[in-house]
Amino acid sequence: MEYTADHSGDALCVRISGVLTFDDHGRFKSIVDLIAKGAESQITLDLAQTKMIDSAGIGMLLLANDKAAKELKKLNLTGVTGHVAKVIELSKVDQIIPIS
Amino acid sequence: MSANPKPVADDESAPIQANDARVLIVDDLRSSRMLIGSVLKAAGFTNLDYAVDGVDALERFQENEPDVVVLDIVMPRMDGFGVCHEIRNTLNSDVPILIQSGVQEGNQRVRAFDEGASDLVSKPINAAELVSRLKLHIERRRMIDRLQRYQHRMEEELHAAESMQMSLLKTPEQLAELTAPRGAEVEAFYLASHKLGGDLWEAFAVDENRFGLLMFDLSGHGVTAAINAFRLHMLVNSYKTLRTDPAAWLAQVSNDLYSMLPVEHFSTGFYGIFDRRDRSLTYAGAGAPTPVLIRGDEAIELDGSGVIMGCLPSSEYETRRIQLQPGDQLCLYSDALYEDFDDPTQSLGVEDLIKHIRIGLEKRAEAGFADALVRSILGRFPESMPDDLTILRLEVK
Repeated sequence: MEYTADHSGDALCVRISGVLTFDDHGRFKSIVDLIAKGAESQITLDLAQTKMIDSAGIGMLLLANDKAAKELKKLNLTGVTGHVAKVIELSKVDQIIPIS
Repeated sequence: MSANPKPVADDESAPIQANDARVLIVDDLRSSRMLIGSVLKAAGFTNLDYAVDGVDALERFQENEPDVVVLDIVMPRMDGFGVCHEIRNTLNSDVPILIQSGVQEGNQRVRAFDEGASDLVSKPINAAELVSRLKLHIERRRMIDRLQRYQHRMEEELHAAESMQMSLLKTPEQLAELTAPRGAEVEAFYLASHKLGGDLWEAFAVDENRFGLLMFDLSGHGVTAAINAFRLHMLVNSYKTLRTDPAAWLAQVSNDLYSMLPVEHFSTGFYGIFDRRDRSLTYAGAGAPTPVLIRGDEAIELDGSGVIMGCLPSSEYETRRIQLQPGDQLCLYSDALYEDFDDPTQSLGVEDLIKHIRIGLEKRAEAGFADALVRSILGRFPESMPDDLTILRLEVK
C-alpha cells in the first residue's frame, strides 16, 4: 500500500493505492494519525487506486472512521471500484461508513 | 518445558552476560594456556577448562561441553583443524570456536573457517582483542539460544492452542449423526493459516427435523483472530431460542460482538437452517462470500451479503429462503479460497469458482470435496494458506 495526502482548506483527501492488507498496519497508522491530528474536519479516503482489500484492510477503514468520529470529523470513502467495491457491497460497509 | 543445563537466564528480558561462560582453552604449550587463562581471569571469567592437545580437547569437550573454545592450530595427536572438524561434524555442536592464528598464515586462516571456526584471534595473544572477540561470540551464541528457546516455547503453546481450537469443531461422525436423520449430508474442511485461525464453523440441531449450519470468518488471522473465534464459539452455543430465526440470530451475535471486539475487528457470517420436511434452507448472511448452489447443470448464487458483524450497536439482517431439491449441493467457503493478494489478477470471480466447485464435486470420491476443490484451484494441496480457509458442502438427500 502507498498513499498520498492532499490538504485543501478544511478537507483532507488521502489516496490509497495498491493492496490494503494485514501487512499495512504500520503504514496505515500514519494515515490514522493524519486524520486524528490534522486540522481538517472533512476527510476523504479515495480508494480508486486500491486494487484489493482484505478483512484487516476493512478493519483499518473502520479504525480511521472511528478516529474521525471521535475527533468530531466526517469521513467518507470515494472511488470504490473493482474488488474493493465487491467486498464493500458484500459486507455492507456503507451502513457503517458513508460512501460517495 | 525441559530443564536447561546451561547457566543461562530464561528471562527473555535479562541482559546477556558473558563472564560466567565456560571456556575451554586448548594449547599444547603450558605457557600459552597459562597466558590465555590469566588474561581471561583478569577480564572476569572464572569458569575455565584446559586441554593439552586435540584428543584431550575432544575428551574434555564431551565430558563437559563448554560455551566457547579457544583453539591452537599446531598440536600433537590432533591439530586444531581436526578438533574443529570433529566438533562441527561428529559432535554436531555449534559452540563458538576461536582459532589462534598468526597474521602471516594466510592459507591457515581460510582453512580455519572452512573447518567451521567462528572467528580468529591473533597469535601471539593480544589480551584486549581476545576478550572482546570472546565476549562477542558468547553473547551472540546466547542471544541465539534465547531466541531458539523462545521460538520453541511459542511453537509448543501455539500447537496446544491449535489442538484446543480443532477440538471445538465437530468430527465427520458427529456431523453425520446430526445431519443424516435430518435429510442431508455435510462435509466440513478447515485449514488455519498460522496454526491458529479466525474461521469458525458449527452445526447443531434445531429440532428433530432441522439443523443449523453456520460459518464465521473473523477479521485478521493468527492469535488475536483465534482468541476471538473462541469467544464467538461460546456465544453461538449460548443462544438457544433464536436459532430458528437466522436474521435475528445473526443480529444477536453481531450486537454481542460489538461490545466484545475492538473497533477494527469484525466477523463475516452465514447462518442457515435446513428443514428436511420441505427441503428448504432459510438463511441470513453478514458479508459471507457468495454461497453457491449446484443443481445438475444449473448453478445458483445465493445472497450472502449483509453488514459485517460487530461494527454497529444494532445490526439488522434479512432472512432469505431457498427451496432445495434432492441432489442439490450447497457450497460455503471463506474468502481465502478465491482471493490472491500476492497477485490480485489471479483472484477468482464467482463464475470461475463455480467451474472449480463442479470439478471438486466430480472428484470428491478420492479425498473429499474440499481437497478436490483446492487442488483444482491451486493445482496442488498446500501445507498452509495465507489466510484461514473453511469449506462446507451440504448435500440434500
